[in-house]
Formats: sequence, structure tokens, C-alpha cells
Amino acid sequence: MSDFLRSYLTVAIFGGVAVALVGVLLGLGSFLRPSRPTATKTMAYESGVDPVGDMWSQSNIRYYVFALMFVLFDVEAVFIFPWAMRLETYGYFGLVEMAIFIFILVLGLAYAWRKGMLKWV
Amino acid sequence: MDFSAALPVADVVAFNRPAIDWHAASPELILLGFGALLTLVDVIFLDRAKQYTAALAGIGLLVTMVPILTLANDMSETGPRVMFDGAYVIDEFSLIMKAIFILSGYVVILLSTNYIAEGDYWESEYYGLMLSAILGMVVMASSRDLISIFVAFELLSIPSYMLATWKKRSLESNEAGLKYYLMGVFASAIMLYGMSLLFGASGETILTKVNASLSSDPLTGESLSSSTPVLTLAVIFVIVGFAFKVSAAPFHNWAPDTYSGAPIPVTAFLAVASKIAGFVALVQLVFVGFYARADVFQPLMWILAAASMIIGNLIALRQTDIVRLMAYSGVAQAGFILAPLAVAGDVGDQALASIVSYLAIYAAMNLGAFAVILAAARKTGSTSIESMNGLFSYAPGLAVAMTIFMFALAGIPPLGGWFAKFQIFFAVVEQGGTWAIILGVLLAVNSVIALYYYASVARRIWADQAPDGDLTPIRIPPSLGAALVLTVVATLVFGFLPGAVSQFTDVGLIAGG
Amino acid sequence: MNYDNDWFLSVLTFTPLVGALVMMLIPKADEAFHKAIALAVSGGLFLFGTFYLLTEFDFDNSGEMQFNFDTNWISVINSRYIVGIDGMALPLVLLTLLVVPLCVIYSWNHFPEPANPKAMLILILILETGMIGTFVAEDLILFFVFFEVVLLPMFFMIAVWGGPDRRYASLKFFLYTLFGSALMILAFLSLFFLAEDSAGNSLRTFDIQALTEWGGANLTRTAGLLIFGGMFMGFGIKVPMFPFHTWLPDAHTQAPTVGSVILAAVLLKLGTYGFIRIAIPILPQAAVVWAPWIGLLAVIGIIYGALGCLAQTDMKRLIAFSSVSHMGFVMLGIATLTTFGINAAVFGMVAHGLITGILFFVAGSVKDRYHTLEIKRLGGLLIQAPRMGWILGFATMASLGLPGLAGFWGEFPAILAAYNPANGVSETIFRTYMVIAAVGTVLAAGYLLWLLQRTAFGEPSEEFANDPEIVDANKFEYVAWAPMLVLIVVLGIFPNLIFKTSDAAVEKSLHPCLIAEGDDLAALDCPAVFDVEVAGG
Repeated sequence: MSDFLRSYLTVAIFGGVAVALVGVLLGLGSFLRPSRPTATKTMAYESGVDPVGDMWSQSNIRYYVFALMFVLFDVEAVFIFPWAMRLETYGYFGLVEMAIFIFILVLGLAYAWRKGMLKWV
Repeated sequence: MDFSAALPVADVVAFNRPAIDWHAASPELILLGFGALLTLVDVIFLDRAKQYTAALAGIGLLVTMVPILTLANDMSETGPRVMFDGAYVIDEFSLIMKAIFILSGYVVILLSTNYIAEGDYWESEYYGLMLSAILGMVVMASSRDLISIFVAFELLSIPSYMLATWKKRSLESNEAGLKYYLMGVFASAIMLYGMSLLFGASGETILTKVNASLSSDPLTGESLSSSTPVLTLAVIFVIVGFAFKVSAAPFHNWAPDTYSGAPIPVTAFLAVASKIAGFVALVQLVFVGFYARADVFQPLMWILAAASMIIGNLIALRQTDIVRLMAYSGVAQAGFILAPLAVAGDVGDQALASIVSYLAIYAAMNLGAFAVILAAARKTGSTSIESMNGLFSYAPGLAVAMTIFMFALAGIPPLGGWFAKFQIFFAVVEQGGTWAIILGVLLAVNSVIALYYYASVARRIWADQAPDGDLTPIRIPPSLGAALVLTVVATLVFGFLPGAVSQFTDVGLIAGG
Repeated sequence: MNYDNDWFLSVLTFTPLVGALVMMLIPKADEAFHKAIALAVSGGLFLFGTFYLLTEFDFDNSGEMQFNFDTNWISVINSRYIVGIDGMALPLVLLTLLVVPLCVIYSWNHFPEPANPKAMLILILILETGMIGTFVAEDLILFFVFFEVVLLPMFFMIAVWGGPDRRYASLKFFLYTLFGSALMILAFLSLFFLAEDSAGNSLRTFDIQALTEWGGANLTRTAGLLIFGGMFMGFGIKVPMFPFHTWLPDAHTQAPTVGSVILAAVLLKLGTYGFIRIAIPILPQAAVVWAPWIGLLAVIGIIYGALGCLAQTDMKRLIAFSSVSHMGFVMLGIATLTTFGINAAVFGMVAHGLITGILFFVAGSVKDRYHTLEIKRLGGLLIQAPRMGWILGFATMASLGLPGLAGFWGEFPAILAAYNPANGVSETIFRTYMVIAAVGTVLAAGYLLWLLQRTAFGEPSEEFANDPEIVDANKFEYVAWAPMLVLIVVLGIFPNLIFKTSDAAVEKSLHPCLIAEGDDLAALDCPAVFDVEVAGG
């Protein structure tokens, strides 16, 4: 029973340390740094330009679609480069595998294209 | 896992193609093929494809059943099939779970057909995502490796997040999806943290090897009587991650909002298939990965089980919306399913058999209940419990079906649920320790509490007046009718002939490797 | 023994269910057809079953299980489909076979609101399957399943066709019974795992006969007491014993007439039958320790039920409380753990089933005519509906235990048995109980005569004096009541019809150490718990 309690004690200690760490770091920061707020200082930072509108402004949803497509094909490259280096040893098996992989990705691209996601209007 | 092969070396190392058992992998490949086909059809035909997508998805699932049946047939000759050094295993357990996933997926598609077509929904994508999620579950049933478990988990979760928000322009549905997503990634993060600790401490990702390293000192190789702190932490984190997925208390808060906001077929899918997938992962982790550390997972499971039963049932008593009621009752049911895991270290076989039977029966009766809710909502347009009042007077067939499901969920013989609950009692009493008996009494008390709200629903259906005295019958489309018939028959067969069913659920889970 | 009739009990059990399934497929508009099927199934089953049982049952071997059938059911948990019938179950099965068709006949022309004969008759038939199944089940799990099968139909009968407070009453009935059975199933499971033969091999069986043979040997005292306690909760709530009886008056008052009759006539017996078939035979040693407490609750039930009756203003509620009191006598008989006491209990079950059944029938008919059961508004039944009034008078006489009628043989031997309880059970305590129970019979006479006087005698009250609805019993009521009235007289005059049948089975079910005397007892080498206590010591 004591073994059991001890092993669970670890969890409690772990949790305690996690909370304490955050508390200490934030607490220490607010304790050490001077705090003299002015209206300009609390303003959102936008490269020295006066901010316009609300902080919660909406961006165009199309940005996300493009960003997603970009990440998708970016990650694809990570797989394709090493594969290309060793293609000879993989033989036909490797070729077919990669063809399937690219087919599925292209299917996604075709989907986005057919649904009009690539048009910017 | 040995990474040395991946390091750059001077000579070109000959490539050894991993042996792939195509027969064993065919269910997954067929599902993948149909998922791609659905998208392809959508890409080519656009709106003209809409009317065929549901049928295509359904056919895909039925075709997937074929290799599962042939694999099951071969199982007696070939024994379990192991691929990728034990990371992917096809054994009795994985086959029965795959069958449950595919059949419940099929029922969900039957439920969705008219619902999605008649409402304001994207159609083709819906079925594509549904198939991907089911593919994730099917993969999960065979994964005996931390990485493949995680991949399967994400494969089934990500489409589910999207499906939960499927109601266009509905704030509730957006809230449902967002809550589910945030809680889901939180759970994934915790789980991943646990997995990385496990990998760090044991240097292994294959569950059997993890198990071996959990029971011995990593430095000296001596067997350990107690756990090292880091492994305890890892085990707990991984289990907590899955506790979110199965909506066990105290990690259940997302379930009611998500269930009530999502479209009803998706709710059924989340409440049944997705939850069962979480249990499958838990079972594999506990029975294969952590089995040596019963001293760590048993108390945790005990607490999760007791808390889920009590919290789920008590909150369910106060619900006025039938879907939220089902959500909280689902929390309580999760507590029941977790209970055998709290004694799994001592009575492994029985605990496993009881969980598998429970999951099979749970799928049938819960899907059935959602089918009735869906059918009733076609007329009333509401999911409040009051809208069920007097169902018997204008839709006696639905009323009888709902009664069967409610009392099956409550565990009243001779309806399906009794054998599920009974098996759980059986496992818990077999262990027989003080804590097990306390859990048994908690189970008994909670079945009575649960009966109260299940019976209240049944009473409203039978004994109350229909709202506004409106007695126009409900038209049930054929696909929904088929879903109802399937689930009613399954629930009754499970109840009357538990012997026949337990032949299938009394399965072995091989460690693989 | 004849093994060719092993099909019989299964046919008896499942025919009503088949009838119910057939009825489900027929549209509800065709009411006459539904009634015809229900009557044909239950009546036919009664005629055929009674005839077959009376001719084929081997009364010389009534202690043995007959018509046995044993086959695989749930192999994973080694639970089998075993059915059989012996002299203890036979009277109860016959009672069930009789009561169901009478209920169908009774409700022929006046189904309570909201009519729907189809649904109600289906429920009655499912109930019949559950009741017969419980009496013939010889496997604990099978018993449990049948025991629970009766819950659902009864719940719906009360919830749909019941009185104004039906929602509360139905749920209360359901929750109480389920709570008991949840603990009961835990007890069954513990038996399964803890039962070991003398060599230390685990029995791992749910077979009631095998467990009876094992008889709780080498079970620790605590385990035995706890397991018995679990069963006690399950069966005791169903009986119902004080202090778990509170569901009964509500359920009875709110249930439709037919529901009340079936509840009183058969359902309550499932609990007492559980005691004599399962709890006491399997765990005789624990039973000895529990006996004084069971006896105590039984006599409290007798007195409390009787006093409760005196305070009632509603006729049905009064009869319900009288049930608590009468089942107290049955439980007292059981608690003595003697052949004499348990035979009395079996008789008491049948007698109570018939008598209380008829009382609820009459109460239902009174309600149909007067639309109230408030005792103070009734009166003069003998003037307005003389035959019905006489039947009520007859039933109350039978209920208060008038010699020559069936009720007497249920109560009197039970009291007598308490004079000399089984070995190991304190005589002093049980003789005290005997005196208290005797007082209970006086109280019973009091409240029943009071009931009769207020309702049947006197002048009709003004509000009903010229009510044209108040007519005498009609032919359906006569047909439904006559068999029960005849049986009350026949059993009152020839009590041996039941005692002879049940005696051998009861004796076989009791552990020899409980009932042996003198040298036999010494030869048995009994455990200490059976030590004979000297009176007063």
C-alpha cells in the first residue's frame, strides 16, 4: 500500500511542481519589473502604426484554406525528398507506394479546385 | 524501435520490404479505397453525385465486412496475424471490434441518409469523413504500438471534430464542434506527453515491450515490485487522455454540449463508435501495454469508474433534453465499462470478455435509442423529453422500440443490456476483494438510479398525453426503418440468447510481438 | 421417472410469449380477435397444463424434480437452461395457470382507460411467461431473468392503465424491486465463485439442485450471512416484508384491477418462493442465524399490516395492507425452517393468492360501479348488488381465516409451527412471535369485519341510492370468480390436496440438521450452528 501511495505521490509532486513553476516565474516577473502603465503602452503593437479597429478582427477565411494547402504540400516534400534519394533501392514497390500517396494528396487538391476554393474572389 | 537503419550510412543498405499480409490489411485498404472513391466521385460529378454518396458509403462498409468474415473464418487455422514487428495485430479481439465499428458505422449511415439529405448539410463530404473516422477506428482495433494508436486516434478524431460542426450556420453546432475539438486536442496533448514519457523510460513503442520494461528495472533488468515514478506518471497521463475520449467523469464536460449541438446521427456516431474506439484503445493499453502495472492502473480505473457512474447518473436525473440525457447516461455507462478494468489485473480473461460483450450490446441499444430519437424528432422537431410524451398513442412501433432500448440500457432482463451488466458484475465479483465488492455494490446501486430516468422516459411515452393532442403518425423512411429493425433485433437476441453472443465476445487478446 | 415429457415445462412457459408475439403482428383495431387469442392461449394452456400436470405428475415422488429439461444456455458463465417442477412449485404453477385466464375473462368487456386491449393482453401474456418461468427455473441465472421479466409488464400495466397517481406508484414499484434484485444477483454471483466442495474444488455452477446438495458447506460464516442477506433483500422486497413493503399499497391502489389481482395472486409469491427454493435450501446455516430476524420482521409485518388496515379509508389500500399482514404469516412459517412451517407457507401462498385475488376482483367491480373506493361513501352493497355483496362477505371470511375455508390452513399451521422451530432456532423467541401472530389474527378479524360492515351492510348512501349503474355481478364476473370461490372451499375442506403434494418436496429442500430429531440428529454430526437450544435457554 505504501508503494502504491508513493507512486501516486509522484503524480501529486509533479502537478505541484508544474503549478509552482508557472506561479514562481510569473510572480517573480511581476515582482521584479516596474509597472507604469500609460495609454500608449497598453495599446496593441502593430509595427509602430496606430492600431485600427477591434482586436478581434476577422481575417478572410480564404487565408486559412491557402495556408492549409501550403502546409499540406510542404509536408509532402518532407516525405518525397528522402524517398527520391533512395528510389533505386525501393524499386517498383516504392514507386507505387508514392504514387498512391501523391494520388491521395492530389485528390485533395482537385477537391479544393472543384469546390472553388482556389479562386480569390 | 531501432532507428539505426534510418541513419545515413556510406553503403547503400539493401531495402527489405516489410512483409505485408494483404489479406489481413484488406479491410483497411478497402475502406481507404472507398473513402477516396467518394471524394473522387464528388470531384467529378459535384452535385449530381449527392444522391449516390450515402449508398456508396454503405456499400463500402458492407464490402469491408467480407474480408473481416474471411479473416475470422481463417483465424482457427492461421491463428492471429502479426505485422510490423507486433505493431499491428489481427486477432479475435481486433476482428470483433472491427465488425462492431463497421456495423455501427453502417447503422449511422442508415440514420444519416434522410437526415442529411433533407437538412441543410454538405452531403458528399459527410460520408467521406465518416468513412475516414471509421477507418481510424478499424486501425485502432489492431494497433498494438504507441505510435499507431496515436495515429489511429487522430484519424478518427479529426473527422469527428468536423462532423460535430456539420450543421451549417448553427451556433450550437459550432459550439459543439469547438468544445469537442479543444477538449480533444487537450486530451491528445496529455496522452502524447504520457506516451513520450513511456518511450523515454522504456525506449520502446511496441506495447508488449513497453509492458516488459514496465515490470523490470531499465538499468539492471531486475523485475520490479513497484513502479518507478516516471512510469506511473506516464501510465496515468495516457489513461487520462483516453478518459476524455470515452467521456469518463471527471473528464466528461464536453459530452453533453457536443451531443446536443451536433446533428443527431453524428451524436449517435460519437456516443457509440467513437466512444467504443476509446475503450478499444484503453483495453489494448491496459491488457497489453500496462498489464504488469496493475498496481497503477487499477486504482485509477476504480476511481474513474465510480466517479463516472455516480456523476453521470445523478446529473442525468435532472435532464430535460433527451439527447443530453443520453449524454449523461453515456457517462454512467462508461463507468460501467471501466469497472472491469479496475479488476483486470487479477481476472483478465473475464474482464476482457465482459468489456467486449458490453461494447457490442451497448452499440446496438444506444444506436437504436438514437434512431428512435431521430424518428420522433422528424415530427416534433425537438429533442426535449417532453416531446416524447404520448408517443405510444401515435407511433406504437417507435414507442415499443424506444421502450426496449431504454430498459435494455437500464439492464432489465430479458433485454440485451442485462447480460452486459451481468458480465461486469461477474468479473467484479470473481475478483472478490474488498474494493471489488464495494465497486460491485456501487454498480448495483447505480443500476437502480439509472433505471429511474430510463423508466421515466418510457413512462412518458406510454402514459402521457401527446403534446397538443396531435396524433398524426410519423412517416419513417426505409433506411431509418432498417436501422431500427437491425438494432431491435440485435438488442433482443443479445438478451434472449446471450450464450450465442458470448461465443463471439469471449475473445482472446494476443500480446503480439 | 418419465423423461419423454421434458418438453412440457418449456411449452408451458413459452406458449404465452408466442401468443403475445402473434398478437403484436395483428393490427390493434381487431379487438375481438385479440381477446380471442389471449383467451385461447391462456385458457387452453390452463386446461392442457392442468390436465397434463395432474395426470403425468408423479405424486408419489413429489419430492423429486420432474419433467426435467437441461441444456446449454450461456456456456461462458456455465449457466444452463434447467427447468423442473416438484411438489413445492406445482401448486404455484397451477395457481398461475388459473389466475391468468380468469383475468382475461374478467377484463373482457371493461378494459380500464385508455382501453387498448391489444397492449394490455400482450402484457398479461408476457407476465404469465415470466411467472411460470420463475417457478420452474432450476438455474439461478434463469430464475433471475424470469424474476425480472415480470417487472416490465407490471410496470406498464400500472403506469398506463392505473389510477391518478400511477406514475409515482409504477416507478416506486419498479425501483424497489430492482434494487432488491441487483443485490440478489450479487449474492448469486458470490455463490458461484465461493461454492467449493469438501475437496476444495470450486463448483462454479448456478444449478439450484447442485447448490442445494452442496448446502453451504465450508463457506465462511460471514460470507454465508452476507450472501443470504443479498438474497433476503431481493426476495424480501418482493414479498414484501416490513420495512420494504411501502411500494405495495401504492402499487395495488393505483394498478388496474387485473394488475392488482395478478400482483397479489402470483407476483408476491415469487419472493416467498425464492426463500423456500433458493435461499434456505442453499444456505441452511445462514438461514438459522437469520431466522429470528426474518421472524421478527414477519410478525412486525403481521401487526403493522393489520393496524395499517384499520387506518385505511380506501378499500383497495386496505386489502393491500392486509396482504402485508398475510404475507407476514407466510414468512413466519418460512422462518421456522421446519417442514410444518414451510408446508403452511406453501399453502398460505396459494390461499392468499386465491382470496386476495377475489378481494381485488370485487374491489375492482365496486370501483366500476361506484367510481370510488372510499369506504365511508360505500355501504349497502348487499342491498344494491346482493350477490356481489355475498361474494365479498365470503372472501373476507376466508381471508380472516375461518376454519373450513382455505385461509385457515395458511395461517393456523404457520402459527403452530412457530411453537417448535427448527434446530438451532431459538424456541423462546419464536414462541413469543407465535403469541404476537395470534393477536394478529384477531386484528385481522377486526379489520375485515369492519370492512364488510361498512361496505356491504347497512343502507346505501344517498348519493348512490338510485344510481342505475350499480347492478349485480354480470356473467363475465361470475365466470372469472367462480373457479376461485370453489377452490377456496375445496382447499378449505381438503387441505391435504396441497399439503400432500408439497410435503415431500419441502422435506427434501431442508437440510437434515434442521429437522432431524433425537438419535438421527446425533448421527448426523451437525455443525455447531444447528445446536438444539433448550427452551428458555
